[in-house]
Amino acid sequence: MYYVADVKEADCAKYNCKQCVLFCPEPNTLMYHDSKHVAWVNYSRCKGCAICVYVCSDLLKRNCIQMVMVTTGD
Amino acid sequence: MGLEYVRISPGFEKYMPKDYVDLVQYGQFGREVDVQQLGQFKELVEEHPMCAGCFMAYFIRVFYAALPKPEDTIVIGTAGCARLALSQAAVPFIYGNYGDTNAVASGLKRALSIRFPDKDKDVVVIAGDGGLIDIGFGMTMHSWFRREKFTTIMVDNEVYGNTGGQESGMSPKGVQLKMAPKGKQFDKINAVELAKTAGCVYVAKLAPTNPKRIAKTVRRAILAARHFGPTFIHAYTSCNIEYSIPTEKVLEDARKREKQDFGFYEWMTEEVKEFFEELERKPEEVKA
Repeated sequence: MYYVADVKEADCAKYNCKQCVLFCPEPNTLMYHDSKHVAWVNYSRCKGCAICVYVCSDLLKRNCIQMVMVTTGD
Repeated sequence: MGLEYVRISPGFEKYMPKDYVDLVQYGQFGREVDVQQLGQFKELVEEHPMCAGCFMAYFIRVFYAALPKPEDTIVIGTAGCARLALSQAAVPFIYGNYGDTNAVASGLKRALSIRFPDKDKDVVVIAGDGGLIDIGFGMTMHSWFRREKFTTIMVDNEVYGNTGGQESGMSPKGVQLKMAPKGKQFDKINAVELAKTAGCVYVAKLAPTNPKRIAKTVRRAILAARHFGPTFIHAYTSCNIEYSIPTEKVLEDARKREKQDFGFYEWMTEEVKEFFEELERKPEEVKA
């Protein structure tokens, strides 16, 4: 089991914003879907630092990302 | 080195690792990307073993996205945290002995300008505060005195993070670390003023709170080094382990330090200023 970021797609799609993607320290991890206009997480690469949660919830007050527990293979 | 070495020979695509094929098809080689497009193209740097929430890793991610010509760039690093991510990128990386990065870069840049006189080959040193200002101090300063044409970037985490938290010359005065229990007795070294005095033509200091600004600074430092002389960037990249910053507060800490002592600072000589004015005016003229 490990801790990763998870984007609430329906909430995220309301905003045309990708600030979380621009502040993730991991490359090719928090990605942006061009046509759906949502951020998405490559779970196997996420280290669970929650900087994206700080950007989305504390700075922008949009609350579209939460940290979740996943098991290998999810 | 060069675009022809990066591309896959026709017919061999199916035998190459998927990450590499993605890198050639959707990556930065041969085209300039805007740092705002991060997350929409395959990045040069791959998975690396740096700590969760490390802002040095973040700076390195933005640095690679900002490279003006990744296929014609060589990165030089040394012992320290930064090399863990630098060595995982699709850009040639040379791992110097501790402290000799700028001496290696001097020789390399001179050799490249003899071998490829008609091409721009960029050499960039990225090392920590220990590698550049403590242990590599002499070689760093002398490369600047000699006006070697390459970029030096100091990723300053204000501590020896790999070896258990010893104080470095760049640790702030009074800070208590695991291996500096009495608190640091001396002031933080003013690297920016040293660089200006030693002959750098472009000097900048920043905290990584604005990706667009990091990218602009890195690009300017590399372009100025191509034509004029040594350039230097001093970047604050906190060590969340040794300074006990919870990972989700790392950006908040960078914003706090930006207000205190890492406000954005940029200095360049008159000729470099004229060069950038000319360079940044051209696209508008073309449009008109």
